[in-house]
Amino acid sequence: MTQMLDRRSVLAGGAAALMAMGVSREVLAQAAAAGQLTLSFPADVPTWDPNARSLAAVQSLYKMVFDQPLDQATDMKAQAALVTAWRYLDAGGLSLELTFRDDVLFHDGSRMTAEDFRYSFFERPRAPVPDGGRRLDTAFLWRRIRDIEVTSPTRAVVQFSEPMPSAIAWLYFLCSYVVPKAYLERVGLDEFQRRPIGTGPYRLTEYQQGSRITLEAFDRYWGGRPAIPRITVDIVRDPTARVASVEARRAHVAVDVPIREAVRLGTVRGLAARIDLTADIMLLQITRNGGFERDQVRLAAHHAINKDAISRAFFQGHALPISVPAARGTPGYPENFSFPFSEERAVALLREVGHGPDRPVRIKFFTTNGVFPNDFDMARAIGQMWRRVGIEADIESIELSTYQERLRANTLPEATMFNWGNAAGDPEMYGGYLLDPRAIFSAFKAEEYRDRIAALLIEPDEAKRFEGYRALHRDAVEKGYSIPLLQSVRTVVHQASVNYVKYDNGWALPQAWSFRPA
Amino acid sequence: MALIAFQILLRRLLLAAPIVLCVSALVFVVLRLLPADAVAMSLPPGATAADYDRLKAELGLDRSIFAQYMIWLGRFAAGDLGASIHFRRPVAELVGTALPNTLELVAVGLVLGVAAGVAGGLAMFAWRGRAAEQVADLAATALMSIPEFLWALLLILGLGVALPLLPFVGRLAPEFALPPHITGFLLLDSLLAGRAATLGSALLHLVLPSLALAIALAPLIMRVLRSSLLEVILDDYVTQARLRGIPERTILLRHALRNAALPTVSLIGVQAGFMFGGTVLVEVIFGYPGLGNLMVDAVRNHDLPVIQVVALVYCLLVLGINAVVDVLYLLINPKLRAA
Amino acid sequence: MIARMAASPRVVLGAALVLALALVALFAPVIAPHDPAEQDLMYTLLPPAWAAGGEALYPFGTDSLGRCMLSRLIHGTRVALYVAVVAAFGAMLLGTTLALIGGYCGGRVDWLIGRAVDVWMAFPPVVLALILLVGLGTGVNMVIIAIIVIDWTRFCRVIRSEVLVVMKRDYIPAARLSGFSHVQVVLREVLPAVTPLVVTLLSLEMGIAVIVEATMSFVGLSVEADVAAWGVMIADARQFMNQSPWGVVLPMLAIFLAVFAFNLLGDGLRRTLDPRLMVARGPAA
Repeated sequence: MTQMLDRRSVLAGGAAALMAMGVSREVLAQAAAAGQLTLSFPADVPTWDPNARSLAAVQSLYKMVFDQPLDQATDMKAQAALVTAWRYLDAGGLSLELTFRDDVLFHDGSRMTAEDFRYSFFERPRAPVPDGGRRLDTAFLWRRIRDIEVTSPTRAVVQFSEPMPSAIAWLYFLCSYVVPKAYLERVGLDEFQRRPIGTGPYRLTEYQQGSRITLEAFDRYWGGRPAIPRITVDIVRDPTARVASVEARRAHVAVDVPIREAVRLGTVRGLAARIDLTADIMLLQITRNGGFERDQVRLAAHHAINKDAISRAFFQGHALPISVPAARGTPGYPENFSFPFSEERAVALLREVGHGPDRPVRIKFFTTNGVFPNDFDMARAIGQMWRRVGIEADIESIELSTYQERLRANTLPEATMFNWGNAAGDPEMYGGYLLDPRAIFSAFKAEEYRDRIAALLIEPDEAKRFEGYRALHRDAVEKGYSIPLLQSVRTVVHQASVNYVKYDNGWALPQAWSFRPA
Repeated sequence: MALIAFQILLRRLLLAAPIVLCVSALVFVVLRLLPADAVAMSLPPGATAADYDRLKAELGLDRSIFAQYMIWLGRFAAGDLGASIHFRRPVAELVGTALPNTLELVAVGLVLGVAAGVAGGLAMFAWRGRAAEQVADLAATALMSIPEFLWALLLILGLGVALPLLPFVGRLAPEFALPPHITGFLLLDSLLAGRAATLGSALLHLVLPSLALAIALAPLIMRVLRSSLLEVILDDYVTQARLRGIPERTILLRHALRNAALPTVSLIGVQAGFMFGGTVLVEVIFGYPGLGNLMVDAVRNHDLPVIQVVALVYCLLVLGINAVVDVLYLLINPKLRAA
Repeated sequence: MIARMAASPRVVLGAALVLALALVALFAPVIAPHDPAEQDLMYTLLPPAWAAGGEALYPFGTDSLGRCMLSRLIHGTRVALYVAVVAAFGAMLLGTTLALIGGYCGGRVDWLIGRAVDVWMAFPPVVLALILLVGLGTGVNMVIIAIIVIDWTRFCRVIRSEVLVVMKRDYIPAARLSGFSHVQVVLREVLPAVTPLVVTLLSLEMGIAVIVEATMSFVGLSVEADVAAWGVMIADARQFMNQSPWGVVLPMLAIFLAVFAFNLLGDGLRRTLDPRLMVARGPAA
């Protein structure tokens, strides 16, 4: 291993280095021929323990290495994965029976059974937290699980302490991944985080924190070996650098590039660009604090925003304006309801409470800068729209962490620009969390919704549940409790040689892609 | 000679110890006084107030700042750097992987910067009194008027995209695996493993980021070297050498340069802080997995244990470079050597 | 001495540029064709008037919010000069005062100040800025505070050693003997002796302040959202660099021009006021 360099290999290296210069196009093509795909991705996993944190931005990375009990098809419908069948055993929705595949292997060759499921969803979350450690996010999300009975290696019954109708959706959402019990108990958490193994389509072969993730197709993947044998994920935080990486043919696929760049690169020969709607939504997280104390002001603020103009100016019209806090086409979005843009109404509402362009309401407006696409630009455009009707917003750019802290401390200002992620598309994860006064997610504490949402959270009848959320969303907007803006888009630019597969919820999953035969 | 050098190094490092202590206390207090709430950041959605208090107690954030600092210091002295709140990994491990990358970047940047600076300084000296000198001098002022991060962007646009000559993302081309971990330094490890192609790829990836650093450093060195050469050339021994018929070039390279190098070397010491500071932005722009990226991540996530240690590591690096510069100063200073 | 300065092309050129910038800053509302904050979402990312697709209404084109680039550049001059002057003076006052106290008093006081400088110098400036970023929040005055907090050592270190040199001269004890108080000696004898150095450093520091302001907006510790500043303009325009390179190039040129002017002036002053200084210290970017 420590053999010294001889002269010849130095020369060979120099030659290789020279070859790598100026011929990146061919290098990329050669890599593709050898089954190697490079993905330029904006975020890194905080840890390789997939149960630890619920972070929407890195789900695509976890999903390469790990599997969730259920999966979502490209159209967001729930579909079988590790779990092939699921049904409630009782009318009250307290015991959920799950049937597992019997041909699922972890990357070390050991078989995945219902025991691993019990371990991941019950034993791990309940295990005492070591000193200075942190509870897993699964401990909170699955807190209503009383026990999981394993009746056979392929069968388990989840017992809930109270109904959890969104459980099915949670089985394919955020940190709900199955991890190997035997391996984790043998090597310990630290080693697991260094060398994680899952049942996913790719094995992790190399990991450089914050920089590069190298993956190799898992030959014995239950869903069949993925088409592309090797994936390298380059973590590139800077959007300009991501654009450059795909444009200079140093990456096959770049995710989340600025819209205008996506449009431009789409016209470049050999590249293809996609601008796809996702189930995420952009909204203003509003409060009743300060200038937003009165309903009229918040409603006026909503009426004054020209969402079409924002979509056209910053998203080339691709991001759809929304009237309620849910993505269009998801069960929580009421058809035939729309909240109009109207400066007259905004002015009239403000006049009711004694304000106007010459006597403006003064508010503070938080926005991130560069965390979500066009966040800062949108905030400044809204600031100008508000000024026209008589709301003077003092815009301050903040880090995402500041938002989380202020949200937790209930000290958010009147409005904050925010991108609400919801790959599952379930309405509980929209209005259910956004408006529930008990959830720490909610900026607007709508006390009068407390019982209404509590009832919806345990409503077992799906049709009634969805109907309830549609009504809730609409009501919240009409009362000025929510200011939704646009449905988010995910932009992807890729080499024309890649068959990219679009997921409606915004996932970018290399296991679904392939190379076009040359 | 080596012994004296070693003694000086040791003395410098001992002198640095109280500084490190002060810096660590300063950073600790500043970070704890900030309105940043690391606890809220690490809670899962839907957590209750009780969860909040429990985690706060677990992280020890409910005690006084002084008590927290003493605990931290005690653990630090025992070699326990704490664990990252965001990454949930030991800080030592995070810093351990990032540090060698930053060191390699700075080393290559320094070599390029010094080489360009010395070449430029010599050229300016050779052109002294001519119009070319004035032009070069103005050019140096102009170069200094552009900050590193703009150089980084210009380099990516110029040599990465417009003329796609060089890679600008990460440390290695995707087709290369990391060499076996021996020292943690990618260049060194690929060398030790005999993987020439990997080494080549790693070097190529270093060109643009280190260039961004070097361009900021070179004009400073160039000008300091030029003016010290101008001074040295008036010294007696140069005149004597001339009288003895030693060729001008030999005088310049053998004698004058050695003496003129002293202010240049101390300049590098003074600039060390700026070099490391410059790496932060350069690393972020190039997606380079070093301390700077770690720092920015930690700041974004208000990951206090990481910020604390990384800030301290930066200080240690600056102090370390200064100590090395002192020793170098001694080694090349003929007057001190004679003593 | 004035004559010597006037004879230096650097001083003349640098001073002329600085004066021009100051005039632009002073008369910004008169010169600028638009309100720099006025958005026009129908006309975003317009190229300059002379390029294809440009509008005469917007001579340098518009940014991603449809704001007039020229007006923003002109108003940006105000912010740049304000930050440069106030931050540089602040750093100078703090650094020079401590240097005078330390150098004059010597002993423990000097030791203490020296150690404080050591501690500060061990921080890479950007790292210090990042730590401040978490706490201070944003705003022009925060940027200024950050620059003062970070850069006072630049003055303190250099001036202190100069004060030590001055203290060795005969006229200091002579002044004391003739009945001057300590404060009088410092203000009448020591300060004038180091003033040329202070002026030189001040000019260079102004250039540095302009760079730091741009860098700070790059990492997010920038001015308020509605203030037109060059650094913010670059940060804003960066992601549209390919569609609208002017958005990055123009403020870069502006920054370059301002920094270049201050550097030229500082350089020229240094050469005319004290050629010896060139040897020991680079301008320390």
